[in-house]
Amino acid sequence: MLKLRQGQAAIALVCVVLGFMLAVQFRTAQDIRSSIPFQRIEDLSQRLSQTEKERDVLLKQVYELRQTAGDESATKESENIKMGAGVMAIRGTGLSITIDDSKRLSKPGENPNLYLIHDEDMLKVINELWAAGAEAISINGQRLIATSEVRCAGPTLSVNNTRYSPPYEILVIGEPQTLENSLKMRGGVVETLQFWGIQVSLKKQDAVDVPAYKGAFRFEYAKPVKDGGK
Amino acid sequence: MVLPLVGLIIGISVGVFFPLTIPVEYAKFMSVALLASLDSVFGGLRAGAEEKFDNTVFITGFFTNALMAAGLVYIGEGLGIDLYYVALLAFGLRIFQNLAIIRRYFLRK
Repeated sequence: MLKLRQGQAAIALVCVVLGFMLAVQFRTAQDIRSSIPFQRIEDLSQRLSQTEKERDVLLKQVYELRQTAGDESATKESENIKMGAGVMAIRGTGLSITIDDSKRLSKPGENPNLYLIHDEDMLKVINELWAAGAEAISINGQRLIATSEVRCAGPTLSVNNTRYSPPYEILVIGEPQTLENSLKMRGGVVETLQFWGIQVSLKKQDAVDVPAYKGAFRFEYAKPVKDGGK
Repeated sequence: MVLPLVGLIIGISVGVFFPLTIPVEYAKFMSVALLASLDSVFGGLRAGAEEKFDNTVFITGFFTNALMAAGLVYIGEGLGIDLYYVALLAFGLRIFQNLAIIRRYFLRK
């Protein structure tokens, strides 16, 4: 052991101060490392949730206003247009389809993407349904309208700019038997999906409720043509 | 050698239980001051081992070094010169030199 012949007391005194500084500095450095990004994340997530709440309230208002406006001038013509545009909730016979990711484990060396649902799979199903005379489709409560997108967004699916994760529930209004056959035909969509273990279940229903499109229509570039569209 | 260690432990425990944090802007100066103090302590240990220890020199050196280092870094910040790194380098070099000398004494007994 090192023999200190002189200045034991002074060094000890100074060491007290040094230890104090060390501890304080250590804590400060830790605070700097942890607090700033965390505060920022918290701040941002709080703002995000607040904005989302505001958006939901506004969407509800839009929806309600549209409903009341619809009651006043409910002619057959405008009703048809509204049903077609998807701004009206509708009910009818149809199918409810549930699609979920494969429960099978991918074998080593195999692409695990094959066992997941992709936008293409969903688009194939939807396309088949439209072709079979579907009158209205919704995915997880999002009504498909003319501008609806169905797109992979990371591991989730973005529909009408809202993201959903599996399982996806598709509600279709149309002739149930035709719809079912269109999906289940040999070499059809369902068969292909089931080959990869993706779980597809079809249920014929007497009353399917397809909700209305809840978003807003915004046309930034499109302008109506006044002179009869010549 | 026991007394300084006891002092260090007392200081650390006081610092841990003392609810004091340094504002982020001043953390830089504090770190330089801390390095200067570390340097002084190692210098003191070395002097003690060499039997050239002087109480006044040591105590004044400890405080003035720390304060001067922080002050210089502050002035450097005002002038747009990053004296922070200079101080780090200078003190760091000296700490390692002192450590090496202390180690030799330690081995020689």
